[in-house]
Amino acid sequence: MDCLKNAGSGAETLLDYCSGALEPARAVELERHIENCPQCFRAVEAQREVWEALGRWKAPVVSADFNARLYARIALENEAPAWRRWLRRLAQPAVPYALWKPAAFAAACAVIAVGFLAQMPADRHAPAPQTRMETDHVDIEQVANALEELDLLMPATPSTPASANPM
Amino acid sequence: MEALAAIERDAELMLRVRAGDETSFAVLLDRHRAPVVHFLYRMVQNDAVSEELAQEVFLRVYRSRATYEPTAKFTTWLFRIATHLALNWIRDGKKEKGQESLTDAVEGAERQVPDRQPTVEQELLYEVKLREVREAIGMLPEKQRAAVMMHKYEELEYSRIAKVLNCSESAVKSLLFRAYETLRARLAHMA
Repeated sequence: MDCLKNAGSGAETLLDYCSGALEPARAVELERHIENCPQCFRAVEAQREVWEALGRWKAPVVSADFNARLYARIALENEAPAWRRWLRRLAQPAVPYALWKPAAFAAACAVIAVGFLAQMPADRHAPAPQTRMETDHVDIEQVANALEELDLLMPATPSTPASANPM
Repeated sequence: MEALAAIERDAELMLRVRAGDETSFAVLLDRHRAPVVHFLYRMVQNDAVSEELAQEVFLRVYRSRATYEPTAKFTTWLFRIATHLALNWIRDGKKEKGQESLTDAVEGAERQVPDRQPTVEQELLYEVKLREVREAIGMLPEKQRAAVMMHKYEELEYSRIAKVLNCSESAVKSLLFRAYETLRARLAHMA
């Protein structure tokens, strides 16, 4: 067996050994090891002493009227209106709500949204009115030019045969 | 096997409570009252407060009966409620307001101890040592304290302590290693 200080699971082995939770085969292995390793021997002794010291602390006997007091509280609660009981259950849950999870999700969504908006090009959000006017102007000119060119390309009409053929 | 049967029995009893069986609640209360009160006593180090908090634990269990689902072990759920209430009480600073004198607490604990007549000197030495243990535990950070209480006195496995404290098993081991290291240093002179 490796030294308790060196091995990765040494601290766990130490706790399990002193609490009696270590598998018997590993406990025997450890006992053999500490016979020849003063450092591990001291570690085991120190943990054993703490374990024993904690064991000296006995808790007091529960009051004889504990149940009676509890049932009185339950009876009082059962007499309360249903809405108050419901509100109390909501305000004082048995175990605390895991509020951090939805809060973290909302915060992540907000960060992504802000990042997305920051990445978008500015002209897509606020179109400049001047640019638009120029665009309109160019469009009119283009239309006019196109019409003129269309006129030039038009073949001679039969309504003007004299001018077309003076003979 | 016995432990597994007991766990299943707790869940079964709680399901019966959910169905409206008040007797099953009484059975659960009798089975778990002492461990919950003792755990809370060592957490808050106050006799009266520990009973008050334990009452709140069982009241919350009763209140939640309609929504109970046996997804976790009953005792894990029970200790989770107890730990939450104890940590809240400690954080609220009620410790200073409600703490009974150390002498009273030591006397309360002492009542159970003597199985043979100790001398006055032995009694004094015992009180001094007990006070040191209480103080050393009281100085631990809240979560470390809760982990040690569940490990040492309630003999819960690492995985169950992790579920009670809502953290990983490796985090529990780390809490325990640091806590016992601190206690070894603080109580070294008692050897």
